[in-house]
Amino acid sequence: MYPKQIATSLDNVITIRNVNIFLKLGLSESVIAAACSRVGQRVLHVDRRSYYAGNWASFTFNGLLSWIEEYKQAGPSDEAAQEKVEEGEEALALSSLDTSITNVEVFCYASEEPEEVEEGVKDGAAAAWSVPQTPDSEGEVERCLLESSSVEEEEAVLAGDEVAQASGPDAGAEETQPEGEVPPQAYETQGEWQDEQQASPSPAESQPEPKKQITYTKIVKEGRRFNIDLVSKLMYSRGSLVDLLIKSNVSRYAEFKNVTRILTYRNGKVEQVPCSRADVFGSKQLTVVEKRMLMKFLTFCLDFEQHPEEYQDFSVHSFWDFLLTKKLTENLRHFILHSIAMVTPDVCTVEGLRATQHFLRCLGRYGNTPFLFPLYGLGEIPQCFCRMCAVFGGIYCLRQSVRCLVLDKESGKCKAVIDSNGQRISCSHFVVEDGYIGLDQRKNVDSRQISRAVLITDRSILPSDSEQQISLVTVPPVEPGSPVVRMVELCSSTMTCMPGTYLVHLTCSSSGSAREDLAPVVSRLFCIPVSPGEESKEGEEGSEVPSVLWALYFNMRDTSAVDRSSYDLPSNVHVCTSPDAALGSDHAIKLAEAVFRQLLPEEEFCPPAPNPEDIIYDGEGPQGEGPGFEEADPAEALPSQGEVESAERQEEAEDAGETGDVAKQETVAVAENEPRPASEE
Amino acid sequence: MAGGSVSECKEYLFKVLVIGELGVGKTSIIKRYVHQLFSQHYRATIGVDFALKVINWDSKTLVRLQLWDIAGQERFGNMTRVYYKEAVGAFVVFDVTRGSTFEAVSKWKHDLDSKVKLANGSPIPSVLLANKCDQKREGSNNTSLMDNFCKETGFLGWFETSAKDNINVDEAARFLVENILLNDKGLPYEESNGERIKLDQETVAAESKSGCC
Ligand SMILES: Cc1cc2nc3c(=O)[nH]c(=O)nc-3n(C[C@H](O)[C@H](O)[C@H](O)COP(=O)(O)OP(=O)(O)OC[C@H]3O[C@@H](n4cnc5c(N)ncnc54)[C@H](O)[C@@H]3O)c2cc1C
Ligand SMILES: Nc1nc2c(ncn2[C@@H]2O[C@H](COP(=O)(O)OP(=O)(O)OP(=O)(O)O)[C@@H](O)[C@H]2O)c(=O)[nH]1
Ligand SMILES: [Mg+2]
Repeated sequence: MYPKQIATSLDNVITIRNVNIFLKLGLSESVIAAACSRVGQRVLHVDRRSYYAGNWASFTFNGLLSWIEEYKQAGPSDEAAQEKVEEGEEALALSSLDTSITNVEVFCYASEEPEEVEEGVKDGAAAAWSVPQTPDSEGEVERCLLESSSVEEEEAVLAGDEVAQASGPDAGAEETQPEGEVPPQAYETQGEWQDEQQASPSPAESQPEPKKQITYTKIVKEGRRFNIDLVSKLMYSRGSLVDLLIKSNVSRYAEFKNVTRILTYRNGKVEQVPCSRADVFGSKQLTVVEKRMLMKFLTFCLDFEQHPEEYQDFSVHSFWDFLLTKKLTENLRHFILHSIAMVTPDVCTVEGLRATQHFLRCLGRYGNTPFLFPLYGLGEIPQCFCRMCAVFGGIYCLRQSVRCLVLDKESGKCKAVIDSNGQRISCSHFVVEDGYIGLDQRKNVDSRQISRAVLITDRSILPSDSEQQISLVTVPPVEPGSPVVRMVELCSSTMTCMPGTYLVHLTCSSSGSAREDLAPVVSRLFCIPVSPGEESKEGEEGSEVPSVLWALYFNMRDTSAVDRSSYDLPSNVHVCTSPDAALGSDHAIKLAEAVFRQLLPEEEFCPPAPNPEDIIYDGEGPQGEGPGFEEADPAEALPSQGEVESAERQEEAEDAGETGDVAKQETVAVAENEPRPASEE
Repeated sequence: MAGGSVSECKEYLFKVLVIGELGVGKTSIIKRYVHQLFSQHYRATIGVDFALKVINWDSKTLVRLQLWDIAGQERFGNMTRVYYKEAVGAFVVFDVTRGSTFEAVSKWKHDLDSKVKLANGSPIPSVLLANKCDQKREGSNNTSLMDNFCKETGFLGWFETSAKDNINVDEAARFLVENILLNDKGLPYEESNGERIKLDQETVAAESKSGCC
């Protein structure tokens, strides 16, 4: 039903000329699209996927299972078609095979035994992900992963569904916290680190609470509570992404949580890193002397430029060498290098100092650590920009693809694209993700990769008085030569996992496959049950270690270092790179701004959208006695819902563009078409 | 999206979606309800995100209703999750003069239920609006048929509305808000989630505690 509907819609879109077309909805593309739409450009955003955000997407658990299946079955899907182009034109095919995700491996350790069927709990996740799939095919996805699960079980779950649908809103109210499950902790003021809490809670003290096992069935059933990101990043509270969200007013679409702790793995233990003044003074791990040393060093870093004499002799040396000359204990050097500067030992002194400074400057803007995390996951951020783009008239077509570009031989520019139905859409600019560019258009090949793991676990890596902690864990190489791994542990109040579980993201630059790179870290920090559903060894040493319930490994290609000059493409085709391995999103935002400047050098980048309260309607008087019922007048039909600024700028845009009139009329045509509901085939 | 309580007066912020096919009058209904305006001119909605209506519900309750209109993309059936996220109620609108817009109601309702749920997993309360009833031809809509349709599709109820003649718009809104408030009673959901941050509000509390040196 859906694909058909979209195909119909695209026919309509085609009547809109001179759009800027965006292919694939990653962060950079979404930002550029929002920026263009905001200043009055026509935007068409296309992705072959049925979801937003491309490789930046986040999925419900069941959505992720479908995603995994897709990549397992990945293969060439489009046969090379002979494109119809006119004289003086030339077709340039896009790569139809996405090879950006590789080495997908899934492990399920949670028991597969069904729990008693609880009425009223909805398996909404499968439905929440709008893949055009019948319940049958969903069942299949589940079944192949859940080999031993029986058909009856499936039906039990489905039956539960129906019950939920039939019964009113109050049925199932108490089901949010099924019996025996650890209830989400009552409201805790985060960052309230009193002295006695500061002591890293020793495992002996933490009550071994009677925990009911979380089964695979339960995870699937509660699947909609998960929002699992393909990319794991945090937002620096004074980074370019936060600044842009504020400046553009896109921030109104999202809410955030502060990362509550910075942890590090050292000498076989997970420890908290003191980073704010309060942390340092409150710390029980540090001696009084260490506290003083650390404060002195951090104070220096905060405005290190003012004291060149302190570091200029080290300008050619590494940051690590520099740290060695400072009065710091080994403990402190570890914290500074791995958890505060978060650099490798070999970076130069100034770079290390700058990284430390950035970290320190971000402290305290919103909380006790420098980092924020968006509720519902990072995948929310590109969608926020998509919403802004759409509010200003951008059109989105998911489940649509572009087969090739049509180049004008004379100018060498891209004048149109041909979509998967063979239809032609004129465009003035084309923004595309690197993954679509075929080998022929590349001058060199960069094969950097990111290794990723996603774990669902049953408790926090460092239990504390609050279960609702969001932790960044820096893991230095566990063996010489192995990678530096960054780990982010999310609790259920981030709206990314179900209560009673934690969602753990591991990321590093690849040296091998994701599993080769990350499994050694996973096995050191977590308990991997030997057989599915095995109880974590209660009472034995290591019982405080979280058990892995489910694990996913994959590699994602990292093209962030690829330069514009390494593509052989028309000047009005702009390439965005895939997400990089860094912790922040600066790269994607800088790239977006640079591309926007090329596209529209005269325009402002993401000016603030007006507040809804400030919008003045241009109604014809209060009582609806407007002029007679005239059908939309083409001259006025172009959307300008009387909004302070954009009304003016829309008019300007119309006056300026020579093709404006055609576009206007055709927009009206779209609007006047009786919209066809999907069911009407 | 429930707001906090200040001793006696309770304040709520509710996000309500207004969905339905092209040109059925979504924007007109919002404009009528919030700004007491109506315009015969059709303009596809652009640049408008949501409108805010403040209701003095009773002496102890203040309700801020955020009405989210839909924009360009939506007529192609792909709304971002951002639009649906944390909505607590919805109006699905159709145009009584165009049968096809009624046929699309089930599709919109289905889409709605698959994309947003209350914390307890049940569908958000939604009300069906049969708009442009000022242009209704005699004997077109059958009341018991509509009642049945609502039951089957999971609507709380339906109203014949006219944004033009200001018929039933306030009544429909009141009915929906009543139901939202009813749901809100049973759900102490937010409390367990700790504090959330809006970027344009830097926390003062944090400032005093940290900020290295
Ligand atoms: C019933 C049904 C109907 C469908 N109908 C459609 C439809 O009408 N149109 C449609 O596009 N998909 C449709 N799909 C989805 C499509 O068949 C694939 O499932 C999906 O594209 C992923 O294919 P893949 O795993 O082979 O990934 P790949 O082919 O490897 O592609 C993966 C990524 O590459 C992107 N991509 C590659 N080439 C292009 C390109 N030229 N243009 C745009 N994006 C590209 C996709 O966005 C995706 O992110 C439908 C799926 C179903 C189940
Ligand atoms: N007679 C009559 N006309 C109405 C009524 N409500 C809306 N209209 C007209 O219907 C047309 C469409 O109304 P809009 O409010 O713009 O519709 P919409 O659903 O917001 O449309 P999109 O934003 O394009 O999806 C306008 O010409 C309105 O004047 C009504 O109650 N009665
Ligand atoms: Mg409208």
